[in-house]
Amino acid sequence: MNVLKVPARTIAVFVLPCLLLYTCMVFVPILVSVYCGLLDWNGIAKAKFVGLANFERIFTSDSVFWPSVKRTMMFAVFSMLEIPFCLLLAILLNRYVRKANTLVTMYFLPVILSVVIIGQLWKTIYNPASMGGMLNGILLAIGLESWTRSWLTEPQIAMYALYFVSLWQYFGYHLLIQFTGVQNIPNELYEAAKIDGAEGFKADRYITLPLIVPIFKISIVLAFIGSLQSFDLIWVMTGGGPAHATDTVSTYMYNMSFLSMKYGYGSALASILVVICLSFTIVINFVFKRIENKVS
Amino acid sequence: MSRTKMKAFAIMMASALALTLAACNNGQSASPGNSGEPSKGTATKDVTITFQNINPDPSTPSYKMIKQIVGQYEQDHPHVKIELDSLNTDQQKLKLKTQAAAKEVPDITIVNPAAQMKPFVDAGLLAPLNDVADKEGLKDTFQNGLLNYYSFDDKLYAFPDGNNIEVVFYNKELFKQAGIQKLPTTFDELITTVKTLKAKGITPIAIGEKDSWTGSLLFMNILLRTNEGPNFLNDVLDGKKTFNDPAFVEAVDAFQELVQAGAFPDGATSIDYNAGGNIFKTGKAAMYIMGTWETGSIDASSVAGKVGAFQFPTVNGKGDVNEYVIAPGSAFAVSANSEHLQETKDFLHYFIKEMPKIQFDLKNAIGSGQKMKGDLKEAGYSELAISLNELFKNVKGGDLAFDNTMNPAIAQAHLSSIQNLFVQKEDSAQVAKEHQNTFEANK
Repeated sequence: MNVLKVPARTIAVFVLPCLLLYTCMVFVPILVSVYCGLLDWNGIAKAKFVGLANFERIFTSDSVFWPSVKRTMMFAVFSMLEIPFCLLLAILLNRYVRKANTLVTMYFLPVILSVVIIGQLWKTIYNPASMGGMLNGILLAIGLESWTRSWLTEPQIAMYALYFVSLWQYFGYHLLIQFTGVQNIPNELYEAAKIDGAEGFKADRYITLPLIVPIFKISIVLAFIGSLQSFDLIWVMTGGGPAHATDTVSTYMYNMSFLSMKYGYGSALASILVVICLSFTIVINFVFKRIENKVS
Repeated sequence: MSRTKMKAFAIMMASALALTLAACNNGQSASPGNSGEPSKGTATKDVTITFQNINPDPSTPSYKMIKQIVGQYEQDHPHVKIELDSLNTDQQKLKLKTQAAAKEVPDITIVNPAAQMKPFVDAGLLAPLNDVADKEGLKDTFQNGLLNYYSFDDKLYAFPDGNNIEVVFYNKELFKQAGIQKLPTTFDELITTVKTLKAKGITPIAIGEKDSWTGSLLFMNILLRTNEGPNFLNDVLDGKKTFNDPAFVEAVDAFQELVQAGAFPDGATSIDYNAGGNIFKTGKAAMYIMGTWETGSIDASSVAGKVGAFQFPTVNGKGDVNEYVIAPGSAFAVSANSEHLQETKDFLHYFIKEMPKIQFDLKNAIGSGQKMKGDLKEAGYSELAISLNELFKNVKGGDLAFDNTMNPAIAQAHLSSIQNLFVQKEDSAQVAKEHQNTFEANK
């Protein structure tokens, strides 16, 4: 701060309006949600205060909630697992491909497509062969008839089909972040390492990895928080069905608030989601601080 | 910091504060117990009436009907402007709920009968329309008893656009191709028909079960039979029966039998309502169990002329085929907080008065909620439409859809439970028990 050499009041001028706006747009709604979570309210008529009854029901007798938490967590885990592959590909692209930017742009393409388009596209791909489903069509064509499935409607498989689409969609996004990170490492370091006899993956171990950790962290946090809130893709492709088999916390929350008209219950779910997101952000930050300290 | 800077800072802060307060205040008005005052406008001032509707597709007769009547009215009443807010059904339902939460219901909107509109009525969002119904005998143009679905405590809150029954549409050509001579009149025969069609590689019954109400509507046909008459759900509501009743369990079993026989397309739960209907309308499925509101669009599709309709068969020898799952249409309601309440009511009166005539001309009168005048044959209606019109004459009564009878929370649980039957076999007693548990928890 003291490098800025400006009085605290000037800083306040710039920070406070935003802070106030942020408070009103983000903080207050969260508090309102928590309060609504204490109500028995259909969103329209008079609300009834029921205390912690909604939360109690969610944690004890709701048969949809815990599976949906598990699915949400799986979403997050899968999307994190993808990032090391992105990093590996970024390193390889940077080292061996001359005009890598074109390739990276191509990988990035799904990110700029609207989720609705992606959802519809993959829905068509996953369709049964009788309805023109491409995936099943190909499987049939190469004689793997026993592998054909109704990908989006078999409860045990539908969720993995959704994970895959999400991974596919965001692969380019994380690749771009990692690639930029890798490119920003000054070449002199590698040249110096070469003189010292470190080349290839050895150089990566001692130069690329430590320097990429902050970028890696950005990817992880974005992927994790993003997938905890995963909603749109699921809503377009399965709507949380069949029979809650692909519900995540956010789709379930939507279902409760707007379709079942149990706004209070939905708000309680929303509050829980906020707590989950917050605690994981803290955990990730803590873990990365330790990693950063270790590698550098 | 100099004086002028201080001032500028103060102004900035004040405006930021005002902005945020305004934002907070908006949030506040979404909380319950805050109602606006209805005010009357004067007829000579220019007014704009917002008309939310569920007919966004310009190719449908319903869209043309609305456009035409609104156009006529605006011509005769230069000071009134009708602003159409056309959305598809799902979007409209959601938008209305959001608007309702903010107490900003559009002047005219669309509601569904009975249990689905009750929360809106209870919250005092809709204006009673008895005066409109009484004017020039408008209510007598409706079929007997239909307006009851839209009345609470003797106050009428909406005018429906239709009154449909659920029938089995079938593709005569595909039936012939499979060598089926006789239309099924019992559930066992329906199962046999399904198996025969399936063996010929024809999808027996089209459905789009991603929108889970479709399966439930079909299921309600079976329940209407196994219960040997209507009012099962009302009896549950009144505490005279429970979901554990043998009639309900039997209906679940019969429904599962249909699923297990392979009646529905692969991946039915990922197909939405429109795509489901298109399987039938493109000649890829032999049957389509749906409301008569589909008649116009079937007649406009590539299977026109090849389609007939029959009544949902009896189940295990129970039920009367002249009892139907009845779908009173989506209905036009007026916001109680409308700024131009009188003008809106005047327009709605005109709209409802004109509707049957225009619908008839547009060949969209099958399942009309209002009594029809005119000869269908002369007007060039299809054979299918005429045969359905005959069915209407013998309707003995029936049940509404599940979500028109039970509150949204129970309805949603039911819908997903029925959807589940499409993907896995369940113990019917257990399904019944879960229904009962949900019912008791959400009464």
